[in-house]
Amino acid sequence: MNLSQIDLLAAGAAVLAVWTCGVTRVKTQLLGLVGQTTLLAGICVLLGLEEAAWHMLILALVVFSVKAVGIPVFLGKAAERIGIVRDRGVSNNSTLILLMGCGLLMLGYFMTPHFAVPTMMNRGAAGMALALVFIGMLLMVTRRLALSQVIGFLTMENGIFLYGLTQTNGMPLLMEMGIVFEALVGVMIAGVVMFRINRSFEHIDVSDMRGLRH
Amino acid sequence: MNPFLLIAVLPFLMACLGLIPRAARWLPWAGAAIMLIQLPVVGWVCLPAFTGATTVYGGFMMDGMGAAFTVITTLVAAAATVQAALLLPAERRGEHNMTDRRFCLFYTLSGLFILAMYAVPLVQHLGYLWIAIEATTLMSAPLINYHRSRNSLEATWKYLLLCSVGIAFALFGTVIIFAAQHAFADGETTMLVSDLIARAGDLDPRLLRLGFVFCLLGYGTKAGIFPLHNWLPDAHSEAPSTVSAMLSGALLNCALIAIWRLSQIVAAAGQSELLHQLLVPAGAVTVIAASIMLLRQHDLKRMLAYSSVEHVGLLTLAIGIGSGRLFILHAFNHSIVKVALFLLAGGILHAYGTKAFSKLGGVLKTAPVWGVALMAAAFAIAGSPPFGTFISEWLLLRDTFAAGEVTAAVVVIAGLTVTFIAITTHMGRVVFGHGRNPVHVVAVRAWALTPAVLLTISLIAGVAVAPPVMQVLTVLARQGGRP
Repeated sequence: MNLSQIDLLAAGAAVLAVWTCGVTRVKTQLLGLVGQTTLLAGICVLLGLEEAAWHMLILALVVFSVKAVGIPVFLGKAAERIGIVRDRGVSNNSTLILLMGCGLLMLGYFMTPHFAVPTMMNRGAAGMALALVFIGMLLMVTRRLALSQVIGFLTMENGIFLYGLTQTNGMPLLMEMGIVFEALVGVMIAGVVMFRINRSFEHIDVSDMRGLRH
Repeated sequence: MNPFLLIAVLPFLMACLGLIPRAARWLPWAGAAIMLIQLPVVGWVCLPAFTGATTVYGGFMMDGMGAAFTVITTLVAAAATVQAALLLPAERRGEHNMTDRRFCLFYTLSGLFILAMYAVPLVQHLGYLWIAIEATTLMSAPLINYHRSRNSLEATWKYLLLCSVGIAFALFGTVIIFAAQHAFADGETTMLVSDLIARAGDLDPRLLRLGFVFCLLGYGTKAGIFPLHNWLPDAHSEAPSTVSAMLSGALLNCALIAIWRLSQIVAAAGQSELLHQLLVPAGAVTVIAASIMLLRQHDLKRMLAYSSVEHVGLLTLAIGIGSGRLFILHAFNHSIVKVALFLLAGGILHAYGTKAFSKLGGVLKTAPVWGVALMAAAFAIAGSPPFGTFISEWLLLRDTFAAGEVTAAVVVIAGLTVTFIAITTHMGRVVFGHGRNPVHVVAVRAWALTPAVLLTISLIAGVAVAPPVMQVLTVLARQGGRP
């Protein structure tokens, strides 16, 4: 399989996501998310230049400013205010999660032929998109803190965005914008809920909330 | 004038009024009045669809399916808001930390929530459908957390997280279906449901199937199909009762209508066997699993929530065998009765200060009107004649047998039997059991009025299902899709 520039960038984003699996410091996890999203915005710019489509450039700008700057800064501030530094995960073993992340990356790679669109240039990116979705799910399952679960969710969204970007001839711009802003609103509401959880439980450790288990 | 704007005006007005903290005194009644006026407005706008006409305007389209679910949503929202005018001010007297601003915000969010739920059956673009469903999640999450107790907070977090993951899967599925159009000869792309149905034969079958499976996972989480129902009992039981009524009566339908629209595309692509293989077992398993979980409930609202899971199973089955008219009929019957039950449960929760079965009992003695209404509603939700739910469940079973899904039908019959036993036993204890003194003395009769009206509608629906009604339902289900 020949790798195009775009495939390489997509692979970079997926590898960054794997790296995030092994990180316990919340601020560093956020940095991983920023890097991942910046690479996706880069793909967006490359595609825009390739097809001389100005709306792709606008999309890249919006994605970069909302998902690579706005949301991480907001989450970073939230982490500071709540006063959390590390999230050791439910298993307290970040190496294990890192290995599972590697496994998921391979799974995504081997699933490429099932998900790639045959007429597209950058078929390799489909597998990387799938890997991002899987790794996002892994992060959501294995993280302890509500805040790092949000990071997992955003990783998942990034994977879907990457798939839409590389395997279709551009979703309607308005729809993509709607999705980006929806993610923003979702993070805002999650942030508000997080503050509330912190105030009434005095922690945001989700695994310790057991009031509703009958 | 744009008829879709006309539907949106009144809920939007309610949302705006909620921004004025000074309105706290009269807002509940204003909200109730607004939603009651909304009923004839929606009826007038939806009328053409009932005679077979389809209105298209911008990205919106009012087909039969859309019109039917718009009417159901309006009925549910109106009943919930009217009951809220009685319940919320009474509950507020016991909560000293409830400010005017927070109280009024309830109406802002309700208005927006209702608007989002109107958008779901009326949009024709798969992408906007996804956005509308995500909007319903975001608008309803703060409503669930209205009382700000520890449990409601935990339920809200679970709801937000699980539904967001689910909805992310649905987005992935939507994108894959978009990618499935690469085989179109002219290179045009579309996301309009009607166009996709018309050109379904040209879609890449492999990607279409993948996309449908992902969408089913996503929207199925939102609808509460077993085993993705995990968040549902928590959210529905911890929310204020009027919100629970809207979640159960209107929001579940929204997710199911998304599955219906997608199933139309898959069927048009000649892959009905995929629907049979996926949706029929999913529906049957949901019914039997929910009925078993119903047996061991010890909380009134949780029991109602599990009963919603069971009915979602029945509705999934209806979609699976491709019966649009039974999907509409059963959704209507379930919504009406479930809303009545949740509203009654709200009154009981307020009067007794608890929803645990162990501390409830003797409602018939302390509040006869409530007792009678509760028992009638319990029989209705368990699917006994002469209520509408009986007729729709009967017809559904008949069609399932006719479609050759004998195993599924037998499983569903077993599930319905267990459900009947579970619900009548639990409710019997609440209504007849040992008398307990309510903590609040309340204006008993007025609170049973809305549920009684809903039960009467259900009764009429049970008696009225005659050939002409089925004719109308067939017309509604046929538009914009397969017959």
